[in-house]
Amino acid sequence: MKCKRCRQAEAAVELPSHHAAFCPDCFFVFFRRQVTEGIRKLRLLAPEDRVLVCVSGGKDSLVLWDVLIDGGYETEGLYIDLGIDGYSDRSKEKVLAYAASRGKTPIVVELAKEGIPIPEAARCVRMQECSICGTVKRYFFNRVAAEGKFTVVATGHNLDDETARLLGNLLHWQRGHLARQHPLLPGEEGGLVRKVKPLWRVSEVETAAYGFLKGIDYVTEECPMSEDATSLVYKEALSRIEDRMPGTRIVFYQGFLDPSNPLRKVPEDAAADAARAAEIDAGEGAGAPQTCAACGAPTYAETCSFCRLKERVRNARSLRAARGSR
Amino acid sequence: MYNARMITVRLPQKKKELELPGPRRVMDLLADAGVRPTTVIVTQGRKLLTKDHRVEDGATIDVISVVSGG
Repeated sequence: MKCKRCRQAEAAVELPSHHAAFCPDCFFVFFRRQVTEGIRKLRLLAPEDRVLVCVSGGKDSLVLWDVLIDGGYETEGLYIDLGIDGYSDRSKEKVLAYAASRGKTPIVVELAKEGIPIPEAARCVRMQECSICGTVKRYFFNRVAAEGKFTVVATGHNLDDETARLLGNLLHWQRGHLARQHPLLPGEEGGLVRKVKPLWRVSEVETAAYGFLKGIDYVTEECPMSEDATSLVYKEALSRIEDRMPGTRIVFYQGFLDPSNPLRKVPEDAAADAARAAEIDAGEGAGAPQTCAACGAPTYAETCSFCRLKERVRNARSLRAARGSR
Repeated sequence: MYNARMITVRLPQKKKELELPGPRRVMDLLADAGVRPTTVIVTQGRKLLTKDHRVEDGATIDVISVVSGG
């Protein structure tokens, strides 16, 4: 199969959703254009932005960092060590190696040192690991960005991630979540930093192909905590639809993002839902945030969701210690 | 054991390795391995293979899942 762009070299990547196949060099051009177009269309980034790129060691976040560096953006990487035996060490290695190859040193937050490693925290408060992980990550994304005077936080969520989330929100008619789902979450007075998802137009296959062809050594194993994640069920359903009808995913998501889509407007009955969700989900809320009484972070409640979680973990630990000493 | 008359298909994330007869197209090898083509990239050394690429006997290919959860 020949490249559909240069019509000379052998194709390495075929993309049925674009009726195209590309050789490595032409695929780089195509991929960067897709990301650039996604940034331009939704005004995600400005040339003068200081971008905090959240990197996990996986393909999407490292590819995002790579594309933004090559695009001339001022970036720093943030790695959060979740404290998951083995997996966290291997992920961190990949992040450090990639960063070194680009002359960078990432900012590293170690949750074990912060007193809230994910596996132990989940056991203590009997919550899903992914749910705790989301709360903790959002907290540190915002805190590190605010402390480091970054103007924007960028994450590696891709088209597959966003459509899986959209499908989940639709199936459960989460009107508040639907109204707030967007690749651009504006910043707010009071310390909530703008958050963007510049890879929203590219699929997982495309980021994996880009990472491989660019020689980015990413962690291919899945987080052991995410084996039962519901997002995987939605991803599989959408992937089967995409197999039969290539291009459905991007049509689904772009149609959703259309400003005239009524689902994008918060109806009155969903506004209350959104406010409630915002209390749990600080960083994607509605209205003006207050200041957390415990840590000073922006929140929609008296203390932020991270501090409340930390308190619950502390209490569970004390209880366990008391039982153990009896 | 290495077999020059077979194709080695490695699925590192599943910690699985298959020996399949060749020469065959990538998409046929994936079908035999029970893998949906749109959920993976297929590599041979530093080369990325398209699904219609013909793999010769004695070759080793890696099938890397691209689906991330969480």
